[in-house]
Amino acid sequence: MYAPTLAAGLLEPASGLIVWKILAFGILLYILYKYAWGPITESLKEREKQIDSSIRRAEKALAEAKEIQKQNQADRREAERKAQEILRDARESAEALREEELEKTRKKIRQMQEQAQAEIEREKQGALQELRDEVADLAIDAAEKILREDIDSKRQRELVDDFIGELPANRN
Amino acid sequence: MRTHVSALFAVVLAFFLLPLPTQAAEGDETLDIVGHAADGYYLAFEPFAKVELPRILLEENAQGNLTVGVYGTTAGALRSGNYNLIVEENGTPKTLTTPSEIDGAIESGKHLYGSLAPKQGSIVLDFSFTRHLVYGLLAMLVTALIFIRLAQRYKRGIGREEAPRGVFQNLFEAMIVFVRDEVAKPTIGAKYERFLPYLLTAFFFILFANLFGLVPYGAAATSNLAITGMLALFTFVIGQVYGSKEHFKHLLLGPEGVPWWVRPILVPVEILGLFTRHLALAIRLFANMLAGALVIFSLLGLIFIVNVVFGASVAYGASIPSVALTVFILLVKLLVAFIQAYVFTMLSALFIGMAVEEHHEDEPAPEDLDDGRGELTPEFGGDGTALEQRTRPQTPEPVAS
Repeated sequence: MYAPTLAAGLLEPASGLIVWKILAFGILLYILYKYAWGPITESLKEREKQIDSSIRRAEKALAEAKEIQKQNQADRREAERKAQEILRDARESAEALREEELEKTRKKIRQMQEQAQAEIEREKQGALQELRDEVADLAIDAAEKILREDIDSKRQRELVDDFIGELPANRN
Repeated sequence: MRTHVSALFAVVLAFFLLPLPTQAAEGDETLDIVGHAADGYYLAFEPFAKVELPRILLEENAQGNLTVGVYGTTAGALRSGNYNLIVEENGTPKTLTTPSEIDGAIESGKHLYGSLAPKQGSIVLDFSFTRHLVYGLLAMLVTALIFIRLAQRYKRGIGREEAPRGVFQNLFEAMIVFVRDEVAKPTIGAKYERFLPYLLTAFFFILFANLFGLVPYGAAATSNLAITGMLALFTFVIGQVYGSKEHFKHLLLGPEGVPWWVRPILVPVEILGLFTRHLALAIRLFANMLAGALVIFSLLGLIFIVNVVFGASVAYGASIPSVALTVFILLVKLLVAFIQAYVFTMLSALFIGMAVEEHHEDEPAPEDLDDGRGELTPEFGGDGTALEQRTRPQTPEPVAS
């Protein structure tokens, strides 16, 4: 077996070397497969997954926060609107209440006025009656005095009755 | 930094190579560039030492039985008296048989450039350790040590639950991720995970083997056709073992939709193409790595040619551009070390991808697959089935070699 040392030697693959190398490379492949690439690629994948899920989670959280913010804003607007409404209602009802109170007071005053007027009328009638009686008595007394001096009492009575009859039945 | 190292290396290399022509002038020894670039049964640490490697020879003796001859060194094998030495002299092979002749060859160091021939029987297989085997094993050892250590880091949780730390981890992680995302995923598709360990192992072994070629006294194991052939063989076997039905149908029956009478032409072309692809894969890496070494030797050799033709003073002047060019080539080699590791891995992934690809005629268009989960990391968007659907194999045409 002659192997030329020059150019041909470069191009001739040594079969024994191939056997060694296949063996060695096979062992290397197995060792690295078992002890190196497995853990490394798994770790890389796991880390990528973790980063990926972290970003996803962060994005999701951001979206959620935005949603919540939006919700909050809507809620606040709603609350403000409601407050306004309540205030307006309160104002309206206060106004109505005041109006009502006023009306009641007016009514009461009117009632009192009427009552007072009725009272006055009644008092006036009483007083008139009293005055009539008083006048009658006074006339009788006066007539008696006159009669005692001038005429008999029969003529006097007639005069007095005529006088009373001439008085209006009911004068205000 | 790298420039400094390479420049230093170039100067050191030039320094160690300089004494050789003086020897050549004194004796009849010549500078054997090819011998340096080629494989050999020794580790060259000139001018300090030349370490001979063990010889293991599987032989068939005169009776037709297989025997194994194990010797510590080539010289030891020759001194045992069981072998003749065949050396080349003036372009013709010459067999040295007598002990005195052989001792003379050992004395001059020629025995390392010759070949052994048993006095009885013949050599079946030469399992001898060679320089490229040693540096290849060294590259494997470095690969194994680095990545087992790296894996331990990941196991401890650094890089798993927390961010990776340090140059060591980040450097190699970047490369691993590159091979995974830029090489394996786009070329193989959904099944990439099964082939990733092979691609990573091949990538880093080739890379470290290539880089050993840049180290002083080192040699690139990948500048040996046996080693690149072994790697291509792995790619070939993996592709065929995991090959899909469609792959073999395509290979043995020709492409679909082709008239029957074209098939007899296309089938041999397909089969031939399958083998040439992988052969080209082996030769591409081998030739690239060998060429770098040869170019450097040639550029430095210019100094000595100038010395012979124009004299010593011109040779000193010529050494300046020569060394500058060598530095440049070394930088190119550094680049090539990475590029070739990438190219080999890329093409391996491509060939494996072609072999394992399964055609789905009713495959939905990618836009229909949008699940509205955003563009974050598609394969994690849900229950994991997304990956299966999303990563469609994109197999470009095989690159012409």
